[in-house]
Amino acid sequence: MIAAMDIPAAGLVSSDVDSADVEVPVIVLVHPMPGFPDDARFALVRLDDDGLLHGLRSLDSEGLQFIVVPPGAFYPDYAPEIDDDTVADLGIERAEDVVVLAVVRAGATLAETTINLRAPLVLNTTTLRATQVILDDVDLPISAPLVA
Amino acid sequence: MLVLSRRVGESVVIGAGTPDAVTVTVLEVRGDVVRVGIDAPRSVAVHRAELLAELADANADAASPSENTVASLSQALRERR
Repeated sequence: MIAAMDIPAAGLVSSDVDSADVEVPVIVLVHPMPGFPDDARFALVRLDDDGLLHGLRSLDSEGLQFIVVPPGAFYPDYAPEIDDDTVADLGIERAEDVVVLAVVRAGATLAETTINLRAPLVLNTTTLRATQVILDDVDLPISAPLVA
Repeated sequence: MLVLSRRVGESVVIGAGTPDAVTVTVLEVRGDVVRVGIDAPRSVAVHRAELLAELADANADAASPSENTVASLSQALRERR
């Protein structure tokens, strides 16, 4: 079991995946996200200048994108424990290789925008393998307010 | 659907003889609660069905917001700083 940091690594994030001549790091989900069984390959795209909002953009389905954020920027005490199976699945060897991102559901207003703390995306920046981990902690909400 | 009766301590094996074989063992029966133990290889994800359904719904709700929505979220977060 390891604790993970939550700051996306430089070089991993692309500013533009639509441009054909830019080589984009391809993130492979070792298990599909629930509800999206056919999407395994994604790219991480920066969506703002502050490095908070990122797009996890499917390379398998045109137009499919999730907004993800480093959860620590909104919930500083959030420190999910990553189980040994996930460590093995993602080939994690060093804690500093691990990036945790949380899926955000953008509502009509910031107050209606929620963050999924129960099932964060865990990414190994070395192997570029990732998965949406379902945490055992039943107190972690699937829809927590992004800002309290 | 295959329906089997099992006593506490008894198991069923799913996918026997394959690398993905899963063994489900009845551990305890108390009232309307049955505790089962699941022995599955790491490649086979095991989760409560209702949690998976809830997550699938949450992911679908979160998927592919419009550019306008992303822009207003980004703006709202900037104004908050």
